[in-house]
Amino acid sequence: MSAAEYPGLPAKPGGRWKIWLAIGIIAAITAVTLAPGIGVDFSLDAILRNWRNGTEKIGQLLVPDWSFFPRTIAPLWETIQMAIIASVIGAIVSVPLSMWAARLTNPNPVTRGIVRTLLNIVRAVPDLLYAAVLVAMVGVGALPGIIALVLFNVGIVVKLVSEAIESGDPGPGEAARAAGATQTQINRAALLPDIWPPFINQALYAFELNVRASTVLGLVGAGGLGLLIDAVRTFYRYDQLSLIILEILVVVVLIDWASAVIRKRVK
Amino acid sequence: MTRISPETPAGAAAAAPAPWSIRLRDATVRYPNGVVGLNKISLDIEAGEMVSIVGLSGSGKSSLIRTINGLVSLSSGTLEVGDHRMDLARGRELRRLRGQIGMIFQGFNLAGRTTVLNNVLVGRLAHTSVARTLVGAYRPRDRQLAYEALDRVGMLERVYHRAAHLSGGQQQRVAIARALAQEPGIVLADEPVASLDPPTAHAVMGDLRRINRELGITVLVNLHLLDLARGYGNRLIGLRAGEIVYDGPAASATDADFERIYGRPIGDQDLLGGAASSASTASPVSLPGEPV
Ligand SMILES: Nc1ncnc2c1ncn2[C@@H]1O[C@H](COP(=O)(O)OP(=O)(O)O)[C@@H](O)[C@H]1O
Ligand SMILES: [Mg+2]
Repeated sequence: MSAAEYPGLPAKPGGRWKIWLAIGIIAAITAVTLAPGIGVDFSLDAILRNWRNGTEKIGQLLVPDWSFFPRTIAPLWETIQMAIIASVIGAIVSVPLSMWAARLTNPNPVTRGIVRTLLNIVRAVPDLLYAAVLVAMVGVGALPGIIALVLFNVGIVVKLVSEAIESGDPGPGEAARAAGATQTQINRAALLPDIWPPFINQALYAFELNVRASTVLGLVGAGGLGLLIDAVRTFYRYDQLSLIILEILVVVVLIDWASAVIRKRVK
Repeated sequence: MTRISPETPAGAAAAAPAPWSIRLRDATVRYPNGVVGLNKISLDIEAGEMVSIVGLSGSGKSSLIRTINGLVSLSSGTLEVGDHRMDLARGRELRRLRGQIGMIFQGFNLAGRTTVLNNVLVGRLAHTSVARTLVGAYRPRDRQLAYEALDRVGMLERVYHRAAHLSGGQQQRVAIARALAQEPGIVLADEPVASLDPPTAHAVMGDLRRINRELGITVLVNLHLLDLARGYGNRLIGLRAGEIVYDGPAASATDADFERIYGRPIGDQDLLGGAASSASTASPVSLPGEPV
């Protein structure tokens, strides 16, 4: 066929059909999930019926109960502490794990495969599920929240950093190997210096996510603001809830800003 | 600026190890994809020689250099460095032997984000425990060797600079210092000046020649430019398709010899030009100052 177009033209690489297949599958799944009876119960009708109810709640949300502020300070601080502790522990654990998971820093396919598989499992479980299970195991409080966040952080930081390692320059490592270094020495002395920037970046990104996530973990009893959110929600105190939401917003914005400043300096 | 010289006290303090010879017998390198990098090569290089290795791209120059320090393993044949069977060495023994062989790369291969000092200390890893490496606690003697090596290539004042902030020529000198810090018996250089401009290329080749003449270290340099090969080597080895097709004195190699090695007429692209290299004069050429 290619010979007809131009003599000596090599065969076209296949693969385009895969894209079309993917598009087709996604379209089919979307159609099924929206189909009445089988899929998600999505109806405009229900939204309109509940609308009156909703506007009332939004009215309350617009008027925060400022007098509630003192009672939010301790849980808010606990949430931030959980995020900080979990980010630091997660980051420290992620350094060796990232190196075990990347080919450049761990040429052994067996140990690399084991670490990668374990991490895929860790990443597959949602953080809220970790928190719920851990609350059952170690009791209500900040500890299960911190452990859940550490697992969450390790999952994403190791994935992103090991990918950054793979795309890095193998040259310095080769020079260290040629000088008689062991793999551990190669990783520490020749490769780690150039891995710091992506590592700091991903660790800070995980920290940003942690502040948001740690507010929710309390809903299942894992400490922080979430516990308070759960309480005011059960008493329909939407004015107090809106104060909490506002506080989370301010903290998240501040932390995103601080982390952006740090990232810029690391580059 | 201190330069390598037999009288330099720094040079005397570090008891220079004896240079190593290299002995290959029927050495074949076949890569996993079936490509033959070296085809039954037998070669004797005496301790203290300065050898230029030339050949077209793909002729096996890198394969030969990388075989000698075990980065590429032999498929068959034997390799001795000094009195040691490199081809049989594994694990700790292999690392110990590699520790005695310095290597210099076309792309410098420095860790860009850390200091010049930390890069040169990589040359001491074979003599440093893993625990010390992990916490970065190199012994004073190892630091001393790193400073001396940097002093020899005129880069001591850059010791705390980030490697990535240096020019190409400066980076290659740091890489040479990293090799020297190993106190090597052999230095291997794989196209060390292919990424450098002509004056800097001559300066770096001058450094390599000085290492050979003043420290007595056996030096093998891969080159594809014939004036550099002729000017800086004492012996010339020509490779084609993984086989040695020329072996003789470098200075007297004629253009016809190069045409036989390359299998085609030579032209301007095979010459670097720039500062004339004094091949036949025995006295060391003084280097131009800091290249760019
Ligand atoms: N890692 C490798 N895997 C497969 N083939 C290789 C590898 N390294 C080199 N080769 C092949 O071996 C031959 C010699 O290459 P090389 O030693 O790099 O030559 P040179 O350095 O003279 O350019 C070439 O055909 C090259 O494609
Ligand atoms: Mg090459």
